[in-house]
Amino acid sequence: MAIYTDLHVLPRVGDDESSRRMADLLRLSGYSAIGLTLPAGLMRDRVGPLRQLFEERGIETFLRLDIAPPSRQELLRLLRRYRTAFDVVAVKCVSPAAALVACRDRRVDVVFFDTFRRNIWFNYTYADLLHGALEFNIVSDLLNATTSDIYLRLAKEAAIARNSGTKIVLSSGATKPEVVRAPMQLSALGQAVGLSKSQVLRGVADIPRSIVRDNTERRSSSYIEEGVRVVVPKAR
Amino acid sequence: MAKRYLLVKVVSKFKLPPERFEVALTESVRRCFGEFGLARIGPRVIRFDAARSEAVVACNKEGVEDLQAAIGLVPDQAEGTVTAITTRVSGTLKGLRKQRF
Repeated sequence: MAIYTDLHVLPRVGDDESSRRMADLLRLSGYSAIGLTLPAGLMRDRVGPLRQLFEERGIETFLRLDIAPPSRQELLRLLRRYRTAFDVVAVKCVSPAAALVACRDRRVDVVFFDTFRRNIWFNYTYADLLHGALEFNIVSDLLNATTSDIYLRLAKEAAIARNSGTKIVLSSGATKPEVVRAPMQLSALGQAVGLSKSQVLRGVADIPRSIVRDNTERRSSSYIEEGVRVVVPKAR
Repeated sequence: MAKRYLLVKVVSKFKLPPERFEVALTESVRRCFGEFGLARIGPRVIRFDAARSEAVVACNKEGVEDLQAAIGLVPDQAEGTVTAITTRVSGTLKGLRKQRF
C-alpha cells in the first residue's frame, strides 16, 4: 500500500484549533506523513507541541523550510545556515539567478515557482539543471486562480516537466484546513493540468517519501557521505 | 456504461443542503471541463448524509479522475468555504459500503 506524503503543509503557528482541524482532515484524506513548513526562526518550544498535534493523529512530521532568496549569495548563505536543521529544504524561485543555483545545488530538495509572479517560470533550462524535484502546489494555486492564465501556466510547466522527465512533487500548499485534499485528488488535478499518470502517482507517494527518507538518513549520526556510513559491529 | 461511485466527505462550517452540493459540484465540473466534459463525466449525487457530512457521487468510469479533480475545486458558497474530500472510490455501491464500515 502506498504511503502518501503531503510535503507542503503550512499550519498557522499559534492557531491550535485550525492546526487540529487540519491534522484531522489530513488523516481522513489518507496521509501518513507531512512536510511541516515553519518559519526558520521559530522557537523550539513552539515546534514541539505543533508536531505532537499531528503525530497524535498518526501523521509523521518532517520539518521543512521554505526560502525565497532574491540573489545567489543569499541562497548560498541560507543553505549554509539552515540545511542541517531541517529535513526538507525548498526554494521558492523569485529571481532567475537564484533559481539557476537552486536547481543545480544538491542541498536543495525541492524548487517551486510562484504562479502569480510573471517574471519567472519553469523552463527547459531549469528542467535540465534540476537536481531535486519540482513542486506543484496545485490545490492552493488552482483555488486562488482568478483567471485562466494560471491554468495555462500550470499546463505549460507540466508539459516541460513531462517532456524532460523531471521529478515532480504534488502538494496541497495548505495554509488552512479548507485547502487540504486527498492524495488521489491531487493526482487527478495533476493529470488535469497535463502531467502523466505515472508522474502524478509518484509525485504524491514515492518521490516525497524518498526525499524525506534520504534526508533523515543523511542527518543521522552514522552518515558520513553518500554511500558511506558507520557500521557498528555487533557486541560479542 | 460502467459506473464508479465516490464517497465524498463534505466539510463546511454551515449546513449545506444536498441540492446545493449537487449544483456546486456540477458547476465545478462545468468550469473545469466544459459542457462536453460534464456529459462525459456524468456526475450525479445519489446519496447525501447531512448528519455524517458524506455524499455518494456516481459518475461514468472514464470520468472518475476528472471528477476527483473537479471535487477538489468545488467553489465557495455565499455562506462560507466548502471542502470536499474524496475518501473512497468503488465500482459498486455495495463495495463502497464495505469499504466504509
